[in-house]
Amino acid sequence: MSWLAASQSLLAIAIMVAITTLSRAGGLVIMSRVPIGPRVRRFVNAMSSSVLIAVITPMIVHGDGGTRLAAVAAGGTALWLRNPLLGIASGICSASLWRWLV
Amino acid sequence: MMLPLAAFTVAFGVAFGVAATHRGLADWEAMLMSVFMFAAPSQFAALELWQSPLPLLALAATTLTIHTRHVLMSAALYPWLYPLPRRQQFATVGFLTDSSWAMALGEYQRGERNVGVLLGGGIALWSAWVVGTAIGLEFGGGITAPERFGLDVIMMCFLLVIIVGSSPRAAMCLPWAAAAVSALLAYWWLPAYLHVVVGALTGGLVAVLASGKERQEVGQ
Repeated sequence: MSWLAASQSLLAIAIMVAITTLSRAGGLVIMSRVPIGPRVRRFVNAMSSSVLIAVITPMIVHGDGGTRLAAVAAGGTALWLRNPLLGIASGICSASLWRWLV
Repeated sequence: MMLPLAAFTVAFGVAFGVAATHRGLADWEAMLMSVFMFAAPSQFAALELWQSPLPLLALAATTLTIHTRHVLMSAALYPWLYPLPRRQQFATVGFLTDSSWAMALGEYQRGERNVGVLLGGGIALWSAWVVGTAIGLEFGGGITAPERFGLDVIMMCFLLVIIVGSSPRAAMCLPWAAAAVSALLAYWWLPAYLHVVVGALTGGLVAVLASGKERQEVGQ
């Protein structure tokens, strides 16, 4: 890996570490001054799951049949059995099965 | 309660290590993330955006939108932590994750006042995550043609089951649908990577607007 690429990825990781650290500490700092209201709470909660939806929607729409089948299998299993790890496992299995058959 | 959670975390760590290897990350890059970020959803989302040249702004915005909820979580712990010295307060929230937070809050409501539950649980999960990542990095590279084994869908499946497991309440259907549609439109017609931020903000706004309307209807 070139020196430039390495320093760039170090910078990217440092930025992400700073954000995760500050957000963990941030609640304590804010709460020691003002309480957080229900509206802000609702916005932030919806935002943090919506960002995950925003990341995977194009992956599923533009993915091959195996990717789409994996999404259905993983989501369905996780909903049905309430077990995230089994959900991921069924997604991986159905994607490989699809690609093996098609 | 702690042990199965730690075992899960090792398995998720393995999944992250394997996915990172196939995404072309160097071992040290993936390891730095796991050691210092210790945040599975952000790390998987970062893998998705990881290509040369690195989209620094998009990575920052994605991490920020995923992680703002930790502000709320650590805020909820404030009544528990404020008698402690400052340094211990911050050390404890430094290991905060969704699962250790939920578990600790349950203990708190049952009358537990020992902060060690929170800090100890956090450190245990952190070790599990780092060990899992190392295992995944070690063995992930040995697999050629990862698509054949369906390994390229790990990231997507992980993020999906997080969503499903987070808060599958009916009230979230509308915000999530809005997030999906707006993200897709932004993906097609806006500059690269903006779709993540667009979808996140749309979902948040719709949730606030929808709940405001509900309250009005109840009021009438």
